[in-house]
Amino acid sequence: MTPRDAARLTLVVLGFVVLQQTVMLDLRIGGVHPDIMVLLPIVAGIIGGPSRGATIGFGTGLVADLFLPTPFGLSALVGCLLGFGVGLATVALDRTAWWLAPVAALGGSALYELTYGALGSVLGQPQMLHVALARIVVVVSVTNAVLAWPAMKAMVWGMARSSTEGMPTSDVGVGAAR
Amino acid sequence: MPRRSRRPRTTLVILVLAAITIITLDARGGLHVVTSGVRSVASDAFAPVRSGVNAVVEPIGSFLAGSVHYGAVREQNQKLQAEIAQLKLEQAAAAQQTQSLKQLSALLNLPYLGNLQTVPAEVTDFGTSDFAATIDIDVGRADGVQLNMPVVGLGGLVGLVVAVSHHTATVRLITDGQSAVGTTYGPAPGSLAVLNGTGSGKPLSADLVPSNTPLTDGEVFSTSGLPGALFPPGIPVATVKASHTGSSASQESVSLQPLADLSHLRYVSVILWGPSA
Repeated sequence: MTPRDAARLTLVVLGFVVLQQTVMLDLRIGGVHPDIMVLLPIVAGIIGGPSRGATIGFGTGLVADLFLPTPFGLSALVGCLLGFGVGLATVALDRTAWWLAPVAALGGSALYELTYGALGSVLGQPQMLHVALARIVVVVSVTNAVLAWPAMKAMVWGMARSSTEGMPTSDVGVGAAR
Repeated sequence: MPRRSRRPRTTLVILVLAAITIITLDARGGLHVVTSGVRSVASDAFAPVRSGVNAVVEPIGSFLAGSVHYGAVREQNQKLQAEIAQLKLEQAAAAQQTQSLKQLSALLNLPYLGNLQTVPAEVTDFGTSDFAATIDIDVGRADGVQLNMPVVGLGGLVGLVVAVSHHTATVRLITDGQSAVGTTYGPAPGSLAVLNGTGSGKPLSADLVPSNTPLTDGEVFSTSGLPGALFPPGIPVATVKASHTGSSASQESVSLQPLADLSHLRYVSVILWGPSA
């Protein structure tokens, strides 16, 4: 990864952090705010495959952890699992299909929130399962499904020169992936 | 094909192990100084960005929030229109009352605080995570705020400072599942109980209240201030909402309502007090 690639990716992640910490924190639906940081490992997994998905999921998770009161490293752990899982699940699919990003965002976000609560509970924070988990899952999944396409566009730009892993990605979002 | 799939798996294993190591070291305290330092720097660096961007996009956020709650907003608007007429009539009287209120507030000034020093703070964010009940405030180390300092609002105890940077701090509310407050209740010298949080917006539950204890609805539980306690004595925390004893229970099941209105906090006071002070 060249410094320019790193700068592009950093810029995308920073943009997501700013949006999350400002607009998304103010936007509460049923007492729950959306979490667009979850979208990063999902779209990275779709674009870059399991390995890049896991790496970017880990990195963006650590950045998200800087602003959360929950255990440091938990978002990184769930983020890398999610990035890897989405990359693996979509590896055989047509990555240009219009429905792929929203569906992956819907399912991936739901899995993320459930895993996050369960792992947090295992790691000595039992109260993390005593929240309105169903409401969190619904709000985060649906908002992320709606925002999946813009996030995909942003990440395609952010990863344009760095997503390899055995598949052409220069045509992701505009042409055939396999 | 197998050669291609082995590398991602190795990457995943390394990353998972790295994440678990970070979580463990942070929880055991080894890395906590580093992580809290990095979090503090991130918070400090981000505070001006957040307030700057907020100033620009807050109207957009409010608009989006308004569109999500359109029905409620319209209903509220109609109600407000009706109230405006009434309020105009009361305006003249209110001016005089405001003057009186100012004087009274100065006299009252949270009587339970006594001689304790406080730092006023504005609430900047209501919880950055859906999984924890916390608030962010606009004072930090530069204002004398330190970890584990109690925070109070109008009505009573709000929570405890759990993270602090130069100009901001995070307060864990008493409703958070990790919060436990040592309290006393009943006639002097008072019996002891621990009030545990059960989640944002939910009532507190009391521990250590013996079965068949006569409790009346509205009875106030205040901080005990025992040696080593995290809170100074005498701060009102919550009032009894409901209580009952199960047939074979050794403890009374008590549900309590926090006295401070935790869902509408705007300003709070950090008490410059620590267990050793």
